[in-house]
Amino acid sequence: MVMHVKPENLRGAANICGDGGKHPLAAMFGVDETHRGGGLAIYCLFYNKEKRTLDTVKAEFPADGPLNYPCLTTLLPAAAWYERELHDMFGFVPEGHPDLRPLVLHETFPKGFHPLLKRFNANFQVRGNREYEMAAANGEGLFEVPVGPIHAGIIEPGHFRFSQAGESMLQLDAKLFFTHRGIEKAVEGKTPMEALHIVERICGACTVANTLSFCQAVEKLSDVEVPKRAWLIRTLAAELERLYNHVGDTGNVCAGVGFSPVISMGSRLKEYLMQLDEVLAGNRFLRGLIVPGGVKYDVDDHILEEIEEVLREVEREYATIEHIMWEQNNFINRVRTTGIIKSKTAFDLAMVGVGARASGMERDSRKDMGYGIYDEFDFELVTEQSGDVEARIKVRIAEVAESLKIVRQAINALRYDNSKELLVDLGTLRTLEGSWGISESARGDNVHWLMLDEEGRIDRLFVRSASYPNWPALTIAVQGDIIPDFPLINKSFELCYACLDR
Amino acid sequence: MMNDMLMNLLYCLGQAMILLLLAPMVSGIVKKLKAFMQNRIGSSIFQEYFDIYKWWRKPTMLTPHTSIVFILAPCVYFITTLAAASMLPNFIGGKANFGDVFVFVYLFALGRFFMAVSSMDAATAFGGMGGSREVYIAAFVEPVIMLGILSNVLHTGSTSLSGMTLNPSEVNLTVAGVLTAVAFFLVMLAENARIPVDNPDTHLELTMVHECMTLEYSGRLLSLIHWASQLKLLVFLLIFSLLYFPFNLPLVVKVLIGAAGIAVMETLNNKMRLFKVRIYLAAAGIMMLLAVVAR
Repeated sequence: MVMHVKPENLRGAANICGDGGKHPLAAMFGVDETHRGGGLAIYCLFYNKEKRTLDTVKAEFPADGPLNYPCLTTLLPAAAWYERELHDMFGFVPEGHPDLRPLVLHETFPKGFHPLLKRFNANFQVRGNREYEMAAANGEGLFEVPVGPIHAGIIEPGHFRFSQAGESMLQLDAKLFFTHRGIEKAVEGKTPMEALHIVERICGACTVANTLSFCQAVEKLSDVEVPKRAWLIRTLAAELERLYNHVGDTGNVCAGVGFSPVISMGSRLKEYLMQLDEVLAGNRFLRGLIVPGGVKYDVDDHILEEIEEVLREVEREYATIEHIMWEQNNFINRVRTTGIIKSKTAFDLAMVGVGARASGMERDSRKDMGYGIYDEFDFELVTEQSGDVEARIKVRIAEVAESLKIVRQAINALRYDNSKELLVDLGTLRTLEGSWGISESARGDNVHWLMLDEEGRIDRLFVRSASYPNWPALTIAVQGDIIPDFPLINKSFELCYACLDR
Repeated sequence: MMNDMLMNLLYCLGQAMILLLLAPMVSGIVKKLKAFMQNRIGSSIFQEYFDIYKWWRKPTMLTPHTSIVFILAPCVYFITTLAAASMLPNFIGGKANFGDVFVFVYLFALGRFFMAVSSMDAATAFGGMGGSREVYIAAFVEPVIMLGILSNVLHTGSTSLSGMTLNPSEVNLTVAGVLTAVAFFLVMLAENARIPVDNPDTHLELTMVHECMTLEYSGRLLSLIHWASQLKLLVFLLIFSLLYFPFNLPLVVKVLIGAAGIAVMETLNNKMRLFKVRIYLAAAGIMMLLAVVAR
């Protein structure tokens, strides 16, 4: 469903489409159609799990008209970051937005610089003069702790500004998007097959999820069905990616409390799983396997046997990790009641993935959207109610078991599936039509929105990674906890920086 | 008479030097044992020497905000730790008897005071946090150590370290002996920035205590701090072995058992919540108190 509205009616339309807050906001982005004689437009996608679709609201701004509209943030808090990004990238002005500081464009970018406008010249030399204020609390005895963007570990850049009252965190502001790569701009004018190689590399740990969302968006523009065997292999790859992420992240949470044996065990198991990915796809990140129209490589019985064998070993050792964690009182003491996200907060911020499910939100696009052939598999949607670090760890552990279930079902199905068709020709793709793809990455659902121009080249690709809605939640989760607990809370979300730097 | 004192002084200094040279290796052994227990290969036990040498050759960067305290603090920390090491009961000979235990304890306190002051000198948020955490922990550690000393003083009737040393042939398996040994071990972990109180190899700036204070240091000053910390660990292991270890074993074996104990504790435990540290130290304090009563 696509609802076309005037900018001043966007709030009302969002309220109808979101059904008064029942369907959370899944994405919000701008499209520039001025080169075709149109104007700018804002798209809002709502996650409607009853109809298993993303409902779309399109606000059309007249060409040469003002870019002001009444903001959505005061109605849907989840829109806060999207509207800041729209302000940066297109120059939209959401009126009444409580916090319209820059988000993506740092000090190095000049004012009035909107890179996603079509008239923007990519060869333009940036030399900045804008300010990037950090939110901070002031008062007697309060102080600020700046952390990053360069960290002591080998991680991506992000600047955190803590407002402290002694050891307690009053407020946290995160400055991310340091390594913005302009991917959405770079793929413009490329064919989907060319863009695929860039999309695959948006984020290492979500390669399959990003590719899968993109491929589905492309495939929706064609009438050709993707063969079932291709979907079985895609599912296998997607679940193997989830497994190596979840297993590695379980160990990594313990790095936040210096619990060394579990850190080592987690890294070891992750390594096994990534080596398994190399057997399947020829590389550790499962790149180059999934393409629009199907998959490139088949699996034989030999590979399936190897996968089963490694997974048996991983399952056994993972049970040991779980056992070690929960018999350690000192560890439970650290994780319980730390970094709580209440379910109302999770819903307001339209959180996704493990973070949402640990706060009692039943949101898993594999179940809700039933994309691919997930409806044919038997698995549970795991939720926890307490919303603390412990809940997030528990959800992850339970999801590892569910993923193993899916992988085994997929392996059995692949064994008894005699079809050999892996890849279909999608034919001519429909142009000037918006289409979306969604897939569940290890961090939550990953949304891609795609529109092709008259020649079948990409006119606009929008990527809403799973980390995007959860980053603001992290800044809420830490409030009231003490600053030594921040690494633990941060690692329990395990958010990705590269996913934002698209 | 004069000659004797000079000889004793030389013995003490010689002992301190030997300990100083051995200290990085002991830290290296603890690290190696930890690595072994955590399924890792780990770095060589001599790695700490290379690190000290590396920092020693690097230039020292100072921010323009620092005062003389910033340069002074690592030197004071190093010298007080060295002085404390020289006061240990002589095990290479000599009969010096000027190692008063109160001087010994407060030499460490002096070093800590300077480190805490210097942590605020560079006016970074981290330094101040580290300093405040260190002092917070020290406030609980100190009474426990004093109780432990009291228990030992009651046992041996002397306040000099050599006088307090257990008779090597004595097996101190009394209630008080065991309690003080366990409690001192717990305090040793807290005092030397070990898990579960602090994490010596953390890269997580926000959770550190001791490392937080040294974040602004570089070059030679940093190598002094690290070397002093390693020496401090060795001195505590020696005190543990000489004064509290309840069995009669060769000194080297006792020290190695202490080191292995640290590695085991650091592997089995995770870092506790910062505000739970006082409960942990209170437990050690109560054990010490019971030990005093049991004397």
